[in-house]
Amino acid sequence: MTADKERTVLSVTQLNEYIKARIDADRFLGSLWIRGEVSNFVHHKTGHLYFTLKDENSLVRALMFASSASKLKFSPENGMKVLAHGRIAAYIRDGQYNLYVDAMEPDGIGALYVAYEQLKRKLEGEGLFREDRKKPLPKIPTRVGVITSPTGAAVRDIINIISRRFPYAKILIYPSLVQGDGAPEQLIAGLRYFNAALAADVIILGRGGGSIEDLWAFNNEALAREVASSRIPVISAVGHETDFTICDFAADRRAPTPSAAAELAVPETEELKRKIHNIIGRMDTLVSSSIRIRRKSVETLRDSRVLCDPLRILDEKKTRLVMDTQQLEGVMRLAIKEKKARFEKNASKLEALNPLSVLLRGYSAVFREEGGLVKSVRDVEVGDLVVFRTSDGRLGARITEKEEYPG
Amino acid sequence: MAQENEKEMNFENAIARLEQIVRSLESGSAPLDDSLALFEEGVRLVKLCTEKLDSAESRIRLLTQTPEGMTETEFPQKNGNGN
Repeated sequence: MTADKERTVLSVTQLNEYIKARIDADRFLGSLWIRGEVSNFVHHKTGHLYFTLKDENSLVRALMFASSASKLKFSPENGMKVLAHGRIAAYIRDGQYNLYVDAMEPDGIGALYVAYEQLKRKLEGEGLFREDRKKPLPKIPTRVGVITSPTGAAVRDIINIISRRFPYAKILIYPSLVQGDGAPEQLIAGLRYFNAALAADVIILGRGGGSIEDLWAFNNEALAREVASSRIPVISAVGHETDFTICDFAADRRAPTPSAAAELAVPETEELKRKIHNIIGRMDTLVSSSIRIRRKSVETLRDSRVLCDPLRILDEKKTRLVMDTQQLEGVMRLAIKEKKARFEKNASKLEALNPLSVLLRGYSAVFREEGGLVKSVRDVEVGDLVVFRTSDGRLGARITEKEEYPG
Repeated sequence: MAQENEKEMNFENAIARLEQIVRSLESGSAPLDDSLALFEEGVRLVKLCTEKLDSAESRIRLLTQTPEGMTETEFPQKNGNGN
């Protein structure tokens, strides 16, 4: 080695500029895929992503600008295996080369799947899928809102099944895209439309089967939130039985298919008619037991000492009362029996039967002078004035004797 | 409730009234003659509901965006029921 002039001496900058130029000139380094594991991941507030990609032996610094990062269908995390596409470029100031990533996908499993899992975990963590948030479906919805494509097989299935099961229900179809750009926004608009005026009793939101990409609109976060916050119960029916979307979890009910959603939404008319008709039997039981209770109190009155030993002047009335009471019972028993038989035959004919008229045929009640029904000998004392009330007037009487039966 | 009004009643209101009737009969607080009147009203409503269900024809409406907002139009049904 001799003089300096025989040496080529570069400044650091010159060196790094030279290296940068060599790298930039290399077509291979201008576009390549790198497989690696994400570490030191930083999501900067500017939207840029800073991280390193590493394998067992080596690492490379990587960065992804916000413009590219915003197109990612999943959120990178430390430890995640990824395939990153980009170019290598040198950074002169630091004397480093970096991988400038413009696209990235999870390695091994699909990006969509990762995004789905991440969103599901996030919303689950917020409690959006909790059972106690879910609203019960109405028993008899008369307006069914359907948000789906107006031309698909799904809408056809839903219409067929609702028309067959429960033609009384009005079906309101809110047409919407069900896949691709703009689909989530339209589906959300449908939910908002029905909720704004409570224009439906239940909403079916869905579409027929398709690929995971086709169904993707139903894994949209904003849509899932809209479904969860709907005041009207929502049945989610997306794709086939094996397809689970985020919307399915957020909805009040998940139906395996659009047809199944229609079955869940409305009752079957004949079954509903049977249930409505059963109300007559229920009312009959209630009224009959009410009559039984009142008859019991009539009997108590009849058997009471006061009535068994009345003033002479009331003898005739008393005899009539006892006879009438017995007659009333007989007639009433017959009437109830007959009524029940006729109910079973034909409900409409029941209107003619009115046990009231039988009951009103006449019995008396005893009141204390100052008012109040005499239900027990304890209610009156010897010497008290009492009033007998019949259907056509009243009678005054004085208690001359009283005896309380034991037990 | 007057019987004339009942005839005008729609299915939804009739069902709601029926539920109300059963509830007040269940409470047992109504006087006997009121109970009997309720019973009779209930039987009429059951008949009315059944008639409404029997005469129902499916109504299918397509919601369409217009300058005045969403409006309901007839849903275009294809002829025949072939799938």
